[in-house]
Amino acid sequence: MASTTKRRARLTPADTGVRTMELTTITNAVHGEAFGLAIAIYFYLTGLSAGSFIISTLAYGFGFEKYKPVGKVGVVLATLLLIAAPMFLLAHSGRPLRAWHLFIYLNATSPISWGSFLLSIYPVNCIIYGFFMFKGNAKMTKTFGLIGIPLALMVHGYTGFILSFAKAHALWRSSMMPILFLVSALVSGVAMMILVTIIKDKFFSKEGKVNEEVVFGLGKMLFWLLIIDLFLSLSDLAVHYFGELESHESAYLLLFGAFAPLFVGIETLLGKVFPLVLVSAPSMRKVAVYGFAAIIVMLGIFTMRYNVVMGGEFIPLL
Amino acid sequence: MSETNYKYAMLVDLTRCVACRSCSVACKSENDVPSGVVRTWVKEIEKGSYPLVKRHPMPMLCNQCENAACTRVCPVKATYHNEEGIVVIDPHRCIGCGYCMAACPYAMRFIHPTRRVAEKCDWCWPRLREDQGPPACVRACPGGVLTFGDPSDPNSEIAKKLLTSKTTVLKPETGNRPRVYYIGLDDEAARKVDAGGHGG
Repeated sequence: MASTTKRRARLTPADTGVRTMELTTITNAVHGEAFGLAIAIYFYLTGLSAGSFIISTLAYGFGFEKYKPVGKVGVVLATLLLIAAPMFLLAHSGRPLRAWHLFIYLNATSPISWGSFLLSIYPVNCIIYGFFMFKGNAKMTKTFGLIGIPLALMVHGYTGFILSFAKAHALWRSSMMPILFLVSALVSGVAMMILVTIIKDKFFSKEGKVNEEVVFGLGKMLFWLLIIDLFLSLSDLAVHYFGELESHESAYLLLFGAFAPLFVGIETLLGKVFPLVLVSAPSMRKVAVYGFAAIIVMLGIFTMRYNVVMGGEFIPLL
Repeated sequence: MSETNYKYAMLVDLTRCVACRSCSVACKSENDVPSGVVRTWVKEIEKGSYPLVKRHPMPMLCNQCENAACTRVCPVKATYHNEEGIVVIDPHRCIGCGYCMAACPYAMRFIHPTRRVAEKCDWCWPRLREDQGPPACVRACPGGVLTFGDPSDPNSEIAKKLLTSKTTVLKPETGNRPRVYYIGLDDEAARKVDAGGHGG
């Protein structure tokens, strides 16, 4: 008996070389994820819409004449994407036919409640803005373009608030979310406009000659936006990594865990660092290179939306 | 908005729990909870390894937080504190967006598989409202683990126990002010989760 006690007393976790005591789950209940792929796609589409709207206002709102060729296609895409985006919200919702509840039962502290109005006003403004643009009414186009900018920022910025107000998940509860979402929206929007310009000029114009001034101009914009995006995304991650336990684990998941191939590989290296190199090297000032950079940037931002939504929910809470 | 009176609280004495799961079964039966989801369950963690080993059963139920994250984010106010401070869900108003699930730090909520709206433990609010006694889990527990009542009433059992025992709540750092108190909770075991992170 005495020897058993002695033996037991000796076998402390410290002696066995285990840093912490071994924990094994016998039973636990885990409920399904709250958000999912549909929400990631929704965030991606609103981001593209906000980004392309802002590019379209460069010429018609702020007078950067060289971007006039992308103005019209920008507003058409912004409108179409923002009409498509809420369909993913309806598909995600358990009771899509109750969507009208959003307009009569309001909750001021819920970003989704704000969003239901932004998502209705913004496409209407896009249509009016586009209407005057196609009619050639410069003054009205400018007015509605300038009204549209805060709307575009809000319609995408609020999606960041959706995540940062869902305080359960460490990766989301960060004031960086809205600003990070806005910058990545601009990144993906500019990339899409580069791609659209190339496709439009190559296949749908009489000469078949790509407007290089627009492509390289947007490429320069992409360069700076990618630098800001990388800075924000990495500083957010660094603070998470050295933060409290749940924050640390969420950052670890992205850097070294199950999401590392997606986050480090596709989102950061392929989707941000590599295109940054492509658009910064003067020797590679070719339309094809910029087109390729645009494609991988768009892929990278889609992966970013996926990583944020699915990665944020990946670690169970209890 | 009328003043909410946070009337009830729950005390879980883990030193008495034998992990029989009567609470979970009683809840399923009382609330017609479909298969595949649970409103209340027993999380059980084994700490250490043979021969130095100890099991930690922890009954899990909605904390009915005073400062609830779920009610704050519901876009249609389908989930709210009722007049006695219990967080309830209006199944006819809920649109099933899942935002409350994303906000709850205790992962108590789920989407009902057929009704497609959010559901969770409501401390058997229909029973309380009809004055049919305490929640089904409390009634079913054979070990006297669960104590339910009004802590503001000095003669209640829960008030006496809360006064004389050392209690804690789950994840106090969230600031949700949960109203389920635990005696003998092992924080490390309570926070143990199974996927992601450090491959835990």
